[in-house]
Amino acid sequence: MNQNQGGNDARHDDDSALSDFLASLMDYTPTIPDELVEHYLAKSGFQCPDVRLIRLVAVATQKFVAEVASDALQQCKARQSAVVKDKRDKQQKDKRLILTMEDLSKALRECGVNVKHQEYFADSPSTGMDPASRDE
Amino acid sequence: MSDGGGESGRESDRATKRKSSDRDFPQAIAKIAVAQICESAGFQGFQQSALETLSEVVVRYIRELGKTAHTYANSACRTECNIFDIIQGLEDLASLQGFSGASDSDHCLAGSGTVREIVQYVSEAEEIPFAHSVPHFPVIRDRKQTPSFLQIGEEPPGDHIPDWLPAFPDPQTYVHSPVTLEQARQHKKAEWSLLNLQQQLACNGLEGPSMIDPGDAAKARRAAETNPFLSAPLHFGEKGVSPVFLPAKLSNEAVVENQAGENHAVANHVSVLETFAPAIELMKSRSCESEEGRKKVLSNQRPAVQFKIEIGKKSTGTALDLSFQNKDVEKITSWFGKDNEKDDKKRRAEKILKESMKNPQELAQL
Repeated sequence: MNQNQGGNDARHDDDSALSDFLASLMDYTPTIPDELVEHYLAKSGFQCPDVRLIRLVAVATQKFVAEVASDALQQCKARQSAVVKDKRDKQQKDKRLILTMEDLSKALRECGVNVKHQEYFADSPSTGMDPASRDE
Repeated sequence: MSDGGGESGRESDRATKRKSSDRDFPQAIAKIAVAQICESAGFQGFQQSALETLSEVVVRYIRELGKTAHTYANSACRTECNIFDIIQGLEDLASLQGFSGASDSDHCLAGSGTVREIVQYVSEAEEIPFAHSVPHFPVIRDRKQTPSFLQIGEEPPGDHIPDWLPAFPDPQTYVHSPVTLEQARQHKKAEWSLLNLQQQLACNGLEGPSMIDPGDAAKARRAAETNPFLSAPLHFGEKGVSPVFLPAKLSNEAVVENQAGENHAVANHVSVLETFAPAIELMKSRSCESEEGRKKVLSNQRPAVQFKIEIGKKSTGTALDLSFQNKDVEKITSWFGKDNEKDDKKRRAEKILKESMKNPQELAQL
């Protein structure tokens, strides 16, 4: 009996915490707009008139993106620190943090998304050729 | 290619991206949102391909979450999803990375580790609202529906057709009528009248009598604006049209204007008039009676075209809703009253001669 009551109390706490959180979600504006989330959820068959659930999905997605971005940022900074050690002159230029495909693919691999980026783009006839043999 | 990091830079990039890779409006919005989140994480620039990839992944994440939640709801014999379906979906998606309490098999969903992580994130992260106001999409276009019999006030042809059904289209749209040639000539007439009006406006000092009423001119202009066929004047011979008719009254005035207003006229109009010049000269050479305004037909270009216009018969082939055309049709019918007869007689005589020529040949062949 006691255990059940304890279990019930815990469940009530969880429920109340969840409902409080959902209520607080209405104050928080996620970066991903509600219309976009609604559109894609509708495409996959998700049906719910409750706005709080849509906000929850938006916030969850935002958290996911933030995690990926922070992982990629760490990769970028690690690479920059390795480079800076070699050439101190380029410190000014390398201060700009740019999201590159390499960092992104490494960060996404942890989430289970395998992204392979092209090594080069063959968009001109002289791509990949020796600089000497290019007709220019 | 790195983004400037500012809103303006992103917008210009967005404009170029839209042409090349953005097929969808929601994808573009997702890109902006993702860029904003990455900016808050500390990035100052993005590679275009990286941004596209990440936004694509985000879209798939949302869709996967929705699909999983929907599947769980269906498994519980429901069609509408609730919070627990979403939490189960979140747990499924986060199972790769892992969350606290993932190994517990019988924990309550309300206290799931994923939810706690989200709560933590919301309390820590700063609130970044989306940069633009997003309209409600997809926008459903209002289609103009064909009115029903009842709305038009027509009686449906037949008892078996109820009157709330859409009405049949006009018979001119599907019945072949020989009045199309007249329509083409009416178009030409409208263009010509519009040209003359423009020329009049161009040469201000000239005192030329207006050959068309101001009401007609306004209507012609309106018709030119609404009707794409009247928008640009066609050059002589550009369109395969039956003989160009030039009422002598108009041609005389046009010639006068041409001579005097050559300096003022716009190049386009002058060139069109020049193309009309041989026809105008032909008209001048012929004697034309202008008592009742009856004009002669210029019948040199296409003698094979045979049209029969009777006085007093209104043309019913005007599918276009231009009222001024009816007036001109009446004018034309009054013009070609009796002057045609001589030409027709000549043509008939020629035809008979030709046929008689053919017959002995055929007989010889037989």
